[in-house]
Amino acid sequence: MTHGVSRRRFLGTVGAVGAAVTAAPTEVKAKGRPPGWRGTDRVEKIATNCEMCFWRCGVLAEVADGRVLRLEGNPDHPLTRGRLCARGNAGTQLLYDPDRLKWPLLRTGARGEGKFKRISWDEALDVFASKLKDLRQANGPESVAFFPHGLAPRFFSTLMKAYGTPNSAEPSFAQCRGPREVGYALTFGHELGSPEPVDLEEAKLIVLIGSHLGENVFTSQITAFAEGLSRGAKLIAVDPRFSTAAGKADWWLPIRPGTDIALLLAWMNVLIAEGLCDREYIATYASGFTELAAHVRDFTPEWAQPITDLPAARIRETARAMGAAKPAVVVHPGRHATWYGDDTQRARAMAILTALLGSWGRKGGIFLPTPVPKGSFDLPSFPESERGRADGAGTRFPLASEELGVTNGLVDATLSAQPYPIKAWIVYGQNVLESIPQRQRTLQAIEKLEFLAVVDVMPVEQINYADLVLPEATYLERYDPPTIVETAKTPFISVRQPACEPLFESKPGWWIAKQMAHRLGLDAWFPWETPEQHLAQIIAPMGINALELRNRGAVAFPGRPYLEDRAADAGTPFDTDSGRIELYSNRLKEIGADPLPRYTPVVAPPEGHFRLIYGRAPVHSFARSQNNETLNALMPENELWVQARSARALGFNDGERVRLENVDGVKSQPVRLKATEGIRDDCVYMVHGFGHRSKGLRRAFGRGASDTELMTRVSVDPLMGGTGMRVTFVRLVKESASR
Amino acid sequence: MLQRRLKKHHVAIMLLHWFNASVWLGELVTGIALISSHFFRVAPGWYLSVIEGVFGPRANLLRVHVALGLLWIGIFLVYGIFGFRTYLSQEVLRKEIALDGDDVRWLVVRVGQILGRTREKLPPQGIYNAGQKLFAIMVYGTLPVIMLTGLVMVFHLFGTVAVGWAVVLHFAAVAAVVCGLIVHVYMGAVFPEEKPAFFSMITGTVNELYAYNHHFKWWQEVMAEEREWERRHDAAAGGRRAAPTAAEDGDSGSGAAAVSVP
Amino acid sequence: MARFAMVTDLRKCVGCQACTVACSAEWDVPTGYARTHVRPTQISGTFPNLVSSVYVAQCNHCDHPPCVEACPSGATFQSESGVVQVDKGVCIGCGFCVEACPYDARYINPATKKVDKCDFCMARVGRGAQPACVATCTAHAKYFGDLEDHSSDVFKMVFQGGAQGLQTRAVSVGPNVYYVGRKEHLDLIRASFPPRQPRLPVAGEAWTRVLKPLVLAAVGATFAGQAVAFFTQLRKGEQDFED
Repeated sequence: MTHGVSRRRFLGTVGAVGAAVTAAPTEVKAKGRPPGWRGTDRVEKIATNCEMCFWRCGVLAEVADGRVLRLEGNPDHPLTRGRLCARGNAGTQLLYDPDRLKWPLLRTGARGEGKFKRISWDEALDVFASKLKDLRQANGPESVAFFPHGLAPRFFSTLMKAYGTPNSAEPSFAQCRGPREVGYALTFGHELGSPEPVDLEEAKLIVLIGSHLGENVFTSQITAFAEGLSRGAKLIAVDPRFSTAAGKADWWLPIRPGTDIALLLAWMNVLIAEGLCDREYIATYASGFTELAAHVRDFTPEWAQPITDLPAARIRETARAMGAAKPAVVVHPGRHATWYGDDTQRARAMAILTALLGSWGRKGGIFLPTPVPKGSFDLPSFPESERGRADGAGTRFPLASEELGVTNGLVDATLSAQPYPIKAWIVYGQNVLESIPQRQRTLQAIEKLEFLAVVDVMPVEQINYADLVLPEATYLERYDPPTIVETAKTPFISVRQPACEPLFESKPGWWIAKQMAHRLGLDAWFPWETPEQHLAQIIAPMGINALELRNRGAVAFPGRPYLEDRAADAGTPFDTDSGRIELYSNRLKEIGADPLPRYTPVVAPPEGHFRLIYGRAPVHSFARSQNNETLNALMPENELWVQARSARALGFNDGERVRLENVDGVKSQPVRLKATEGIRDDCVYMVHGFGHRSKGLRRAFGRGASDTELMTRVSVDPLMGGTGMRVTFVRLVKESASR
Repeated sequence: MLQRRLKKHHVAIMLLHWFNASVWLGELVTGIALISSHFFRVAPGWYLSVIEGVFGPRANLLRVHVALGLLWIGIFLVYGIFGFRTYLSQEVLRKEIALDGDDVRWLVVRVGQILGRTREKLPPQGIYNAGQKLFAIMVYGTLPVIMLTGLVMVFHLFGTVAVGWAVVLHFAAVAAVVCGLIVHVYMGAVFPEEKPAFFSMITGTVNELYAYNHHFKWWQEVMAEEREWERRHDAAAGGRRAAPTAAEDGDSGSGAAAVSVP
Repeated sequence: MARFAMVTDLRKCVGCQACTVACSAEWDVPTGYARTHVRPTQISGTFPNLVSSVYVAQCNHCDHPPCVEACPSGATFQSESGVVQVDKGVCIGCGFCVEACPYDARYINPATKKVDKCDFCMARVGRGAQPACVATCTAHAKYFGDLEDHSSDVFKMVFQGGAQGLQTRAVSVGPNVYYVGRKEHLDLIRASFPPRQPRLPVAGEAWTRVLKPLVLAAVGATFAGQAVAFFTQLRKGEQDFED
């Protein structure tokens, strides 16, 4: 406003009083920006990446005088290229959320009361370390279970491994992507990974099974999806609900929930029977075709019709569309895949379909990851545990990932004290009460713990049960390990570096880990002093300039996404035992499971009940963002989608508040009913992540209803431990008291 | 009688008058330029361009208008608070502003005279004639409206709907005063008969003949005050009396005027 | 001279609200208000034959902006490039323009008490950047450019691609925010969010219908009356009352 100042002086002789009074209201001082900040030299741009969800889009933070004023997409980010979704743009509201955790807290009241006293970091870390030492002494290091999620706890994961516990589990496996990683790995030899390598922009046909891309927003995937559609790609949306994607689809298949495998088998039947498969591709790369063809011979569209409630003609029509568009067909593997307990088999079916269309490793299909050389530290080996893992990965759940673990397995182990007692949990960046179903069991398990430590940014409900709460700095205030994405057409590395100093007494994860390492005598596993040193080591073999990386935020490498790029490579592109795409899975046969996917009927909802299905909203990330001022204003609560005719028949009106009651008598909080044509009459739908019970989340508290609270029963996938969560049946109850 | 001058206006009131006039000039110039959209505009486009050429961006126009307005309100508040008894007490208002029977008849006769329809004489007037009183009443009524609506607009008081009404009432009230000003400025500055009135706003005085002709009842009051003063002065000086003057002859109330009103 | 316009490709837009948040962050829009709105339509039709779409709304920078007409102080004006802007230094927050906008694109900022709305991010465009909503759009569904530049995306989409503004027979003020999409989606949006008749609040109606004619009549009559008096007096000759 230098411009304004000189005019003001000029006018001061005419009417200083008036000028001063009239000038004040024209200066915008909302949201704490210093006046006159825009376009000045004082603004610095820091390149980092986002953690409002797990896509880690490139972000440029505009910073002036230590305040983050604005976040924008980083145009230099090879994947997101300057685009940023609603949550990413609202990241400053997390940074400046007055409700965030500020100081270390030590429990003073009973578990669940939420009574704490503030303590210093020194005291907190001393308590933490001495507790861990005592536990190791008394019960062995395996008695401590670790529940991490996200980038920040990676340093702490190293600590936990060095400490000697094999018990670590993230919900991203058994509550989310686990079934698809296992299913696709069994078929093609490696996991899909995240971001999943779907070549949407080059596709001629996109098949979404349950995926509601568009409400489920991942910046670069939306870009690719939209680009593919604008280039003329056709879209098949298989969803009991008329999602945003269904609104764009050429075919919306409102499938009966739980019958997706039947549909997939019928599609395979048509492709094989009508000779629409990519025969050359199958001959070159796959095995087990004969067995598959025999297996699906009877699974005709007519067979599938009464099961799926989809007309046979539509099933046939869509199969033919896939056949015509191959190999540029993306059968989207979905992300959250833990639905009915047979989810690994459903993922297998989707993988097989992908292979029949010849789209794995082909343009417009699923492309291949390109490995990126990463540096590492020469660390001493982690102590081996004699007692082994307690979560069942590799044993009770033979195909479960030992890297990501089975969270519900740890809950089971804590409750049963089998194979050995678990005495302590460290929850870091995970919301165990919201992400793991059957929270009544989680709460019982917590009651049995001697010690519960929570490291988090926001005061979510679980902190009320914790003995020790440590406030972590938000992603805008900290270094984290760099993100290396190999599942992109141009693989890349992107950094996370602080845009400003941590507020209050929050601390970054690397510091917490190093401090604990020091107290536990585990410094040998942290041979770096600063996160910059850590980063330098990671990027050492990449041949890139550290300064350039930090200035630009990300550096890309050449990618070889398609099979044709690897024609000259020695060996097979498929890491299966046979070196071929295993349509018929020997591994599954070995462990006594179906080597080819089979449709197993799901239990139907009892009379007067609906199946509860759930999903995502574009302005929220799971249960993390509901307290964010901007995002909360856009969507303060969720609503319950009910088929309009069903609602009317039951005597409910659009907009009315209702409660859901499940078969175990658990009632939800009140939720607004949305009577709509856009959903089948055998299910009801709500967005996950609402109904927060933590009073510390002042904006989110009590808004909407929690779907997780209703999930008192799950269907566990015996192969990998995934908790199928779409097996909750609810009835609608009138809400007599108004909110 | 021509030589003697009677004091009509105090310095304070004269200062206020010219201050007011200057502010009104400035406010009208800027205010009319500020009203620029089709629904509301009263001035032609070229006028707006000329004013914008002088003041620069329209924000400056508003700043000047508001600055002058606030200054104006401030000065009036000072006068209103410190000079309450002088300007706003019921007594003063009754004497100087309220219309009496003579005033009403004066209005009828004056209009008739302007239209050339009557040869009737104008009834005697007080310190301000009926026309001036009407103007004063209108000003007393509208100035607070203009001030209040101005404040509502500047400080966005009482919400958006109130600001919207303030805009409209501000314009309407100003327009009413402008009507009055057309007459007032004409009478004061152009109409030759009232030339003494104009100069009285500079010197503070009018010549006695003018007062006798145009504000007879006031002239009478002034004479009565003078005689009263003299009597008290004489009494205080111990009864010694000077030779009676011609003016004193009219003291006893017989008031047989030697001069006739033309 | 340029003529700026924006096009949203509804085939690509998923209604993710990135634009809403980016715009609010860029311009310090207070929570609960917005310069740009993303409004999903209701799901229309009968199961399973359904249609739904998203309406991305903002100031349309119309060819014939009713807001400019309605502003008493001239704070709202239209630049030569067609961008309707608000001079915050002149705006007093009377709200007449808010009522006048057929698209409800304006709001009064409760902190500054002045009107705020999309201005096509002129400050950003001046720096060579795209408007915040266009720059962040995850689906690359928004386009901004100069309709007089024949090589621009917006020119092609409007004059060759059939992009349409949101107009009805009743209200057609020449919006310069256009939409491309399937016919059923455009029809649904037009039916769900039709522009409304521009109107003035009661105070404004009072002015145009009652007070302005009264004022003009009064000032005119006074002036005429005074002129008559002046000429009459001229005829009579200057009264030298000294005689």
